[in-house]
Amino acid sequence: MSIREHLRILIIVAAITLVGNLVGFKINPIEALPGMLVLLGIVTIGLLLAKIIPVKLPSIVYISLIGIILTIPGFPGSAWFTEQAGKVEFLALCTPILAYAGIASGKDLDDFKKLGWRIVVVSLFTFFGTFIGSAAIAQFMLKLTGQI
Amino acid sequence: MKKVSEWKIHGLVLVLVIVSELIGAKSFQVGPGKAVLLPMLYALVIGLSLGPKGFKIVNLDEMKIASPLIGVSVLLLIAKYGTTIGPSIPLLIKAGPALLAQEIGNFGTILFAFPIAMLLGFGREAIGAVHSIAREGNIAIISDMYGLDTPEGRGVMGVYICGTLFGAIFFGLMAGFFASLNIFHPYALAMACGVGSASMMAASSGALTAALPHMAQEIQAFASASNLLTAADGVYASVFVAIPFTEWLYRKFHKQEPTPTLPAAPKEEE
Repeated sequence: MSIREHLRILIIVAAITLVGNLVGFKINPIEALPGMLVLLGIVTIGLLLAKIIPVKLPSIVYISLIGIILTIPGFPGSAWFTEQAGKVEFLALCTPILAYAGIASGKDLDDFKKLGWRIVVVSLFTFFGTFIGSAAIAQFMLKLTGQI
Repeated sequence: MKKVSEWKIHGLVLVLVIVSELIGAKSFQVGPGKAVLLPMLYALVIGLSLGPKGFKIVNLDEMKIASPLIGVSVLLLIAKYGTTIGPSIPLLIKAGPALLAQEIGNFGTILFAFPIAMLLGFGREAIGAVHSIAREGNIAIISDMYGLDTPEGRGVMGVYICGTLFGAIFFGLMAGFFASLNIFHPYALAMACGVGSASMMAASSGALTAALPHMAQEIQAFASASNLLTAADGVYASVFVAIPFTEWLYRKFHKQEPTPTLPAAPKEEE
């Protein structure tokens, strides 16, 4: 997918997100627009960097890094970037993603029916395991280092 | 034609978003804890029901058009996560040791799911199924090491499909439930949310945020930092630790019994 194509879809998703941001969180789209443009800008630069830089890294690494750098305390304008991005609610960004995922994953329902209950049970323990494993070690280490 | 149906997908997503946000987050008591249902989960479930098996609003071709749109829409969330990590960098550095160490906790998949798989009589499917939470990267690895048309391949695909359909719902409910139990500190739970899947992290850290709104900033920072780490180390962890370890466990378990599916003779030297 080209960057132009990415941008076209991103603008549509951004518009849908601003609607969700209004309905769910009562944030006026005009008020949230600068924040959304900041996010769009971060994504665009990230995609460009992923294309230009010869080291093969997924674009999400660059996108994360740019987001981090812009808002790290001490970076020029970081307070402004943080404040604007804050007006685009994180939960409002999630809802469209899972809506697309839901529509796309409907086709997996057929495969799912063939799976049988045993793999479902194992899957749930797999998910439980990664969560509890990380939570337990994090808890232990946070205590050990006196952070909590 | 392609354009027309893509607009249909966006239109449906807009409707799903409006309906889901109007319903809003609901929490209810489950035993000793609370479960939180978030709008994103309604959107997922309603979206799932729109296919040929459900309300027949979208057909198979349109579902295929929707697939790449997930990856694009995730990018905005990733950018947002970057902007929550930045302001919290001092906090993340202080919690650095915990943040790094908890990555090891991702092997908890094996610890908890391997015994269950053996109990349920799994063959080598278990290796594909329990070595990770079976996201796209893990499918690629298993495909490369065993092929997808093998027991291991069926194992990883099974968990992948379950994760795609129910992962977000399960993680969302689990995180919200643990937030209400007060066993783990919210920071520890937030780090646990970074499982290496954007939608699962969104659902779990979203539920935490809904349960503990005063800590929203820290929760999102820890969750996304942990998710970023998992995204970076996940492939190596699978190839060099998780899969060999699961193989070893499997051989231990099947020492006396002949393996039912594949004559995987343990190599003594290499």
